[in-house]
Amino acid sequence: MVRAFNTIAFDAAKCDGCGDCMVACAQAKTGTDDIARSRIQIVGREKDFELALCRQCADPKCVTVCPAGALGKDGETGVIGWDASKCVDCLLCTVGCAYAGIALDEVSGHVSKCDTCDGNPACVPACPHGALKYITTANIYNEVGDWEDLFAPGLAGCQGCNTELLMRHTLRRVGPDTVLATPPGCVPGMGSVGFNGTTGTKVPVFHPLLTNTAAMLAGIKRQYKRVGREINALAIAGDGGASDVGFQSLSGAAERGEQMLFMVVDNEGYMNTGMQRSSCTPYGAWTSTTPVGAGCSAGMPSQGKTQDAKNLPLIMVNHRCAYVATASTAYMEDLYEKLDKALLASKTGFAYLHVYSPCTTGWRFPTHQNMEVARKAVETNFVMLWEFTPQKGLRFTKPVDDPLPVTEYLKVMGRFRHLSEDQITHIQGKVVENAKFVQRFSEQAHGG
Amino acid sequence: MDQAMEQTKYLIVGSSHAALEAVSAIRMHDPEGSLTVVTRDAHLPYSPTVLPYVVSGKSAPERIFLRDDDFFARNKVSYRPKAALAALHADSNTAELADGSHLAYEKLLLATGASPAIPPIPGIDTVSYHVLRTLDDALKLRDAIAKSKQAVVLGAGLVGMHAAENLVKAGASVTIVEMSDQLTAGYFDKVAAQMIEQAFIDNGAKIMTGNRVVRLEPSPVGAKLTLENGTTLEADLLLVATGVKPEMAYLNGSGVEHGQGILVDDRMQTSVANVWAAGDCAQARGFFTDTQVMNAILPDATVQGRVAGMAMAGDPGIKEYPGGVPLNTYHFFGRHAISVGSSKVPEGGEVVTRFDEKTGRYLKAIFQDGRLTGIFGVNEFFDGGVMCQLILRRIDLTDVKERLLANPLAVGREIMSKTWR
Amino acid sequence: MSTATLEKPATADAARKPKVILCEGNEAAALGVALARPDMVAVYPITPQSSLVEHVAKLIADGRMDADIVDAEGEHSVLSVLQGGALAGARTYTATCGPGLAFMFEPYFRTTGMRLPIVMSIVTRDGITPQCVWGGHQDAMTVREVGWVQIYCESVQEVLDTTVMAFRIAEDHDVMLPVNICLDGNYLSYGTSRVELPDQADVDAFMGPKDVNWHVALDPLRPMAVDPLTGGSGGKGPSTFVRYRKSQCRGMQNALSVITKVHEEWAQRIGRSYAPLVEEYRLDDADFAIMTLGSMTGAAKDAVDEAREAGKKVGLIKIKTFSPFPIDALLQAFRKIRALGVVDRSVGFRWNCGPMYQETMGVLYRLGRQLPSMSFIGGLAGADLTIPHFHRVIEETEALLTGPMPSEPVWLNEKD
Repeated sequence: MVRAFNTIAFDAAKCDGCGDCMVACAQAKTGTDDIARSRIQIVGREKDFELALCRQCADPKCVTVCPAGALGKDGETGVIGWDASKCVDCLLCTVGCAYAGIALDEVSGHVSKCDTCDGNPACVPACPHGALKYITTANIYNEVGDWEDLFAPGLAGCQGCNTELLMRHTLRRVGPDTVLATPPGCVPGMGSVGFNGTTGTKVPVFHPLLTNTAAMLAGIKRQYKRVGREINALAIAGDGGASDVGFQSLSGAAERGEQMLFMVVDNEGYMNTGMQRSSCTPYGAWTSTTPVGAGCSAGMPSQGKTQDAKNLPLIMVNHRCAYVATASTAYMEDLYEKLDKALLASKTGFAYLHVYSPCTTGWRFPTHQNMEVARKAVETNFVMLWEFTPQKGLRFTKPVDDPLPVTEYLKVMGRFRHLSEDQITHIQGKVVENAKFVQRFSEQAHGG
Repeated sequence: MDQAMEQTKYLIVGSSHAALEAVSAIRMHDPEGSLTVVTRDAHLPYSPTVLPYVVSGKSAPERIFLRDDDFFARNKVSYRPKAALAALHADSNTAELADGSHLAYEKLLLATGASPAIPPIPGIDTVSYHVLRTLDDALKLRDAIAKSKQAVVLGAGLVGMHAAENLVKAGASVTIVEMSDQLTAGYFDKVAAQMIEQAFIDNGAKIMTGNRVVRLEPSPVGAKLTLENGTTLEADLLLVATGVKPEMAYLNGSGVEHGQGILVDDRMQTSVANVWAAGDCAQARGFFTDTQVMNAILPDATVQGRVAGMAMAGDPGIKEYPGGVPLNTYHFFGRHAISVGSSKVPEGGEVVTRFDEKTGRYLKAIFQDGRLTGIFGVNEFFDGGVMCQLILRRIDLTDVKERLLANPLAVGREIMSKTWR
Repeated sequence: MSTATLEKPATADAARKPKVILCEGNEAAALGVALARPDMVAVYPITPQSSLVEHVAKLIADGRMDADIVDAEGEHSVLSVLQGGALAGARTYTATCGPGLAFMFEPYFRTTGMRLPIVMSIVTRDGITPQCVWGGHQDAMTVREVGWVQIYCESVQEVLDTTVMAFRIAEDHDVMLPVNICLDGNYLSYGTSRVELPDQADVDAFMGPKDVNWHVALDPLRPMAVDPLTGGSGGKGPSTFVRYRKSQCRGMQNALSVITKVHEEWAQRIGRSYAPLVEEYRLDDADFAIMTLGSMTGAAKDAVDEAREAGKKVGLIKIKTFSPFPIDALLQAFRKIRALGVVDRSVGFRWNCGPMYQETMGVLYRLGRQLPSMSFIGGLAGADLTIPHFHRVIEETEALLTGPMPSEPVWLNEKD
């Protein structure tokens, strides 16, 4: 299996080019202050700094072009090691690497590259601004990469949709001892329950009604509990079925503390049926039932949805569920932590996980932009990532202290293209109001 | 034909960089399909590029192998040394080996590399001489250098230059005879070549460029060379390093089209079904031309091997070969030279050079429409891999050209980090 | 109302002294449920069903019934919870009526397609609007085409006995369909009468092993997709759907013989027997007959007895199993008579007659001769159907022997 390893991550926005990391590296590796010899190189000017550093590639080109077998990736640590005793100083590795991760140290006459200081890189603590972190960017893969993907290959999601990613990750984590409910929507639409007698999932899976997901799952879980069998009751539902027509059964199950994990994939509308409005659709958004048009005889042009979105996760907080959290596919580590907590909470009570999931088709943005759109929603405070338990209350997990203007989010997709200044002002006002409102549930400060 | 002929899904002929990359690429997509690697060499895989360092003693011959038996076991590869390809029967998907055995394949990769090209000098078959392409060649040459007092190197390519430096360092009197009017032609320009030549002269070597051997005959020392200009040289060690060319005799009758090398498309497929070729034996599209060229360099062999392996395995993630970009590095007497891209100045191209006589730093860059097409340096280190990407991606550098030339290392990295990090 | 006529048990153990209690129909239903030992009960109150689920809750609270009770937030979820439970292997039960049944319709329809053997009492209630909380068959009749087996009870004792039998019928491998036990709101739900409680051991022997989700399950030990999208115009979609529906209809038809078999077994083991599909009362020598459903039958039988004493050759036909409609049993009865009056406790808006009459007309077409008949509608919204009402029914039906068939139904309580 391919493992993900720790790497040194760089946040350009936090770097002021002070060079302390290079000094620390030069001292650690050469015993000098000559930053030209540092294996981490910060380059750039004024406020604009960039990084050159070995990425410890999974498929390292430097290794493949070395004629002497002097470079090799360590299967335990992931570090690409350099063996001085084999190196012939030919520099071909520097020609192979597209990231300037291995370069000539003109003083020693040999190439040099980052070896992560055996897992304790000197540069990271030296950074006074926290621009460097030594982290595993893909813990998820290490944890679940070996676990069975419990969906069939080839689910038929739209190009660029990250719900499939979310589904596969979730079910891998939740595991095979699961009964999965996927009410009508994108999730079965892409084939999770299958067609004409075939299944799309390796665990028992079913189409509940759009309206009764939580109730049916409750019945299943209760019967297994009654006969002494431990199973996970998991729903992966859309926002429409959860916030609108399925809300009663959701609320009822939450109130009764039914033991399940109810995940809502919020793409802010009935996207599977052709992008109609739901109560989770935000104000101003174009949908096929809140279209943009010339207007009627009254002269009012039709400009998208005229009401604000329902804050469903906050409503679930008021059910005092065992666990409630919001998450975003742009923050998978955060999502995964919450998934773990929600799964645990679902053993004793109702766990609710609300995942904001941009819809490339319905929101009208390029298919490769999904993660970016999801990230912008968080960075502008358009959505907020938090978790709640009755014991500890509400806690922001990705507080945004200095949110970007909401226009940074709105402008990346077509469904908001028509917005007037007044509408944008309304949305920005609601973002601020929402942030304050949620903040009142928390003792922790949050920007906006 | 033997009724119980041995069968393999993938057959790879050759065992160096292209072959090894193909093995990895196939196994990435098809972990189980039977895979056989046959090679004429007697050893585990190694790189011809490392051989000059075996000669110099920098590399211990037992430590140059790129893979071990465990690698082949783990990857379910049947590795067979001393098994040269004798003939290809493409119509029956069968390879005939030198020992007369036959091997049926579903997909075949020819990564047979190249062999020294021996110039047709009258009398060459009457003298003994060295070449350097295999480990066995290297070991023989290493031993000969230790005993040599006066040596002649024919050819001033990188193999010849490396050997000449080793001979100089071993205390021999060395003469380099080169047909063209400069050293390292095709790798470095005249200015760089001049710097290299000066380094050799400073260290006692004799350089005879623009000259060629017209006659060879045995002598009490070893060999006597007569040059075009009438000069005669005596050599106790003669190294013929006038280039390499693929050996393609096994293709006779196979229908596989070939010119200087085996002609392949952008998926490294030959003109014949189920047969691919990669590495020094292949003639593939050049990045700077639409014609197929020889680009017998190590980095390109790895790219071609990867593309071929993915194509053979049917990996849908395949990216077609972008075209060969010349990439060379050369270390001489403690100095280094790097060349990336084409040394030809395209029509309307712009050449910028910078030379500091004090430090010996030399930099030359060629642009066309603000895009880099080639960059060359002596003692001026830059990230060749980054420069190669600037060329491959055809990035418009108009606005940063001056800064890039002033500090190619830092500015190259800056562009890299912004553009594809 | 009236108690049912009990035949002497054919093979009952004479030595057995049954426990006798006095209870209302809703409690009898709850006791019947308890005897059947379900795993899961989901409840939501609605008049006139409420005391039934209260009794169930009390039985569970008192430890007299070992079931998981789910107080769901509405009928829609009540049935949905049970669907989940059944798919996990639970024997399940609930009860509803009227607006609750209407709200439940979405999962109600689906239960039959999933072939889940859920048992649900409908404590029948008239339809709104006008707003009304009283008895009438309008709710159950409205959903008669949805694929549930529907069995109507005549007496409180029959409610108890039939409720137990319903689980056996539903879970029979040849049926695998949900079953409604219909007991008349007001008259059976609240009507109190003497009830003999069967012995739990006898009922256990009658029930046999529980086998609820052998055919369709949500179980990690045997994973399957329940209800993948089926149909469309391509591939095997349409034919798969057709075969599915056909097997569902076959299950419904199989129910006729299974209901009969289960009633026979009940009589053998417990000692009480009922006509499983259609009861004929004083029919063999009758010239004409009246046809009834549910609790009205007691008063109707009394009226028939009185008419007989007055020399009228009248008989009575009572339907117990309404869905599947007992065509052959009815044909057998209809062959004995020359005129028929059908009394419905609900209306059929489309045909301007009672729904049972509407269904009956389909059977009459198969009779091969003209059988003069007419529709009576009475007992709506909790109105009582008394002996005098049935004397009118008898008189007007008798008139069919010589006179023309009216095109309009007779509305019995119109002038009460």
